[in-house]
Amino acid sequence: MNNENSTVGEKLRRIIHFDLDAFFCAVEEKYNHSLRGKPFAVGGSPEGRGVVASCSYAARRYGVRSAMPMARALRLCPNLIVLRSRHGEYSKESQEVMKRLRAVTDLVQQISIDEAFLDVTNLAESAEMIAHRLQKTIREELSLPCSIGLASNKLVAKIATDVGKLASRGVGPPNAMTIVPPGTEADFLAPLPVEMLWGVGPKTAERLERIGVITIGDLAQIPEIELANIFGKHGWDLARRAKGIDNSPIVTFRQAKSISNETTFSKDVSDRQTLYNRIDTLSESVAKRLKKHGLQGKTVKIKLRWSDFTTLTRQMTLFNPTADYEEIYHAAIKLVRKVWQPGKAVRLVGVGVSGLEDKPKQLSLWDVNRESEEKFHRVQEAIKTVHERFGKDALTLGFHGKNVLENNRKLSKNRGHLGDNDG
Amino acid sequence: MKVSVLQENLAHGLNIVSRAVSPRSTLPVLGNILIATDEGRLRLSATNLELGITCWIGAKIEEEGSTTVPARTFTDLVSTLPPDRVNMELNIRNQMLNVRSGTSNTDIKCIDSQEFPPMPVPDLNNGVEINVTDLREMIRQVAFAASTDEARPILTGVLVTFEDNNMTLAAADGFRLSVRKSQLTTSIEQPISAVIPARALSELARITIDGDQVVTMILPPHSGRVIFRSKDAELVSQLIEGTFPDYEQIIPRSHETRTILSTSAFLKACKQAEIFAREGSLIARIHISPGDELQPGKVEISGQSEETGSNVTVIDASIEGIPLLIAFNVRYLREVLDVIKTPDVALETTADTSPGIIRPVGEDNFLHVIMPMHLGN
Repeated sequence: MNNENSTVGEKLRRIIHFDLDAFFCAVEEKYNHSLRGKPFAVGGSPEGRGVVASCSYAARRYGVRSAMPMARALRLCPNLIVLRSRHGEYSKESQEVMKRLRAVTDLVQQISIDEAFLDVTNLAESAEMIAHRLQKTIREELSLPCSIGLASNKLVAKIATDVGKLASRGVGPPNAMTIVPPGTEADFLAPLPVEMLWGVGPKTAERLERIGVITIGDLAQIPEIELANIFGKHGWDLARRAKGIDNSPIVTFRQAKSISNETTFSKDVSDRQTLYNRIDTLSESVAKRLKKHGLQGKTVKIKLRWSDFTTLTRQMTLFNPTADYEEIYHAAIKLVRKVWQPGKAVRLVGVGVSGLEDKPKQLSLWDVNRESEEKFHRVQEAIKTVHERFGKDALTLGFHGKNVLENNRKLSKNRGHLGDNDG
Repeated sequence: MKVSVLQENLAHGLNIVSRAVSPRSTLPVLGNILIATDEGRLRLSATNLELGITCWIGAKIEEEGSTTVPARTFTDLVSTLPPDRVNMELNIRNQMLNVRSGTSNTDIKCIDSQEFPPMPVPDLNNGVEINVTDLREMIRQVAFAASTDEARPILTGVLVTFEDNNMTLAAADGFRLSVRKSQLTTSIEQPISAVIPARALSELARITIDGDQVVTMILPPHSGRVIFRSKDAELVSQLIEGTFPDYEQIIPRSHETRTILSTSAFLKACKQAEIFAREGSLIARIHISPGDELQPGKVEISGQSEETGSNVTVIDASIEGIPLLIAFNVRYLREVLDVIKTPDVALETTADTSPGIIRPVGEDNFLHVIMPMHLGN
């Protein structure tokens, strides 16, 4: 079969999809061996709106799934041990994992805290060897189980991981390794349910079922033009994906298209000040992430989800790219003002910046900054430790901190002086 | 102590020493100015322990003595006195200084001069004599490039070196470097090198005047201090300990493009660009386009910000080399152009991420290196 997947030179690409197994739970187990084999879940409290962030494989046998309301999980599995999320620990472990992935190659695209793609096409060692060694390294050095999919593109690699995980039925983590040899992508996908394909949500699946499509193989049989008629441009994509074709590149962080943060309120909010306060916090964390990566962006966007789950996004483009907390905040507020309606309750709000580029940087004559940067990182680490141990309120910025900022905002439109004050 | 001085001289002397006063020190006496009779003149001294300044003014001395007078109180009082004789008499028993001038009669509570930190008495024979006019210009061309970041103490200083009959001042804050050389009238026997706080040198430039002719610099061995002495004033400063970075190494040896343009036009363009750039990232974009047989080369200087707008200036220039777009911190450019006195200035560049050199055209005793800003993608 002629392969349409993109090649590097004459070679087909070799892409690894790396996914930590029940990551949060694995971290909890690592520090508390007594949890091993027991049904437990990490997430919010069953009161209020807590959801399952991650659940152990033992819990999964009871039907507990992530993103399920915790209250429901407890009904399914009354013995379920509920643990509060400790994000500090998880991100520390995640960083260790990602460090090891980046030791393999620079071409790492981290998709989430526990998931990444690696392009290993041009490495001397065979992709299979690399994949096996990686799984072993992470298990032995960090005591974390992971599953890997290896294929000629991201789409198939990711599905390979999913298939490997689904095939595992034990109480322990899957530790799956699924390799799709080049040229067999379509055959590999054919028997799988069409929902496993990217871009096929419940609605698309329903419409596909109406034209007799149940498996990905069924979908691959439908002529492209027909799919295009039904789904528009999306139809073309579906047709290609069904054949296992995906040429999307590994996007390393620097090329990431946007940085955004969003939160769901524990109770829907119709009070404007509460909403603005949350936008403030989100703007701050987006600005922090931009600065951390030395990036700035030109487009500020917001996302609002009303209590009836209808979601809208708005964006505006600034004259100059920014990484400034205040600028992001002001733009986000401007956008929210246009759509916010008094009395209408908001369930979720998000703030993001896109159109990213590297921030202009004063270059040094010599490495003067290394010393102070190191110091800065030590301070940051110390603050992080305090936050993790005693909560975010235990240590806040002093004079340049938020209260002053808030006052400034009220008193004047004065800004800019806090722009680069990251330390 | 009983002395009489002219109000004008007293006000001048207080103005010179007052910058070394440390009003918020835990040691109250450091908020005071020492006044003492000294070989027919009146000596005024202030110190914050890092920097000490002394000034001598003419006085009619009837009775020798000394005390320390609160700086603010005394300076404020003297500035309001009539331009006439000021008579001062100290009551040693209660350290009250009586100050009389015209119809005004004041008593100021003083602190015993015994509590004032002793100022070193320099051995003027072991000093290096430097032309004041030269020294003041050297300081002006170098001190601004020193760092103000106390986290890197060594860079807040100016490296001063003497070898044979050459004197060199150098300062660098990590992003730029200023080096100025000068010739001494006499050769010195042994090479000298010291790192002097830029602030102390700026003070020295302030308190000396071109008419002073020479300043003697003394480095008393193992004292960790430097003393500058002119006819009527003396400045003592702590030296900065540590090794100054080897700056010779960071001066580029070659360049791809040499651009010669009018110093004043370039400075004006930078000042305009800064009005806009200062609201944002302080970036001035410098677009260098060499000319051909028919038209001169051009340098385009621009600054912009979201809030205020943008500004572009195009200047004719004589350019040898390849075209280049390079970005600099506009404040750095303005500060160096401000201290260049030749009508033309040369900008030597290699690439948009390599240091640029700025030199006065026709004078090879000064050079300034600036690292560009990286514009991102």
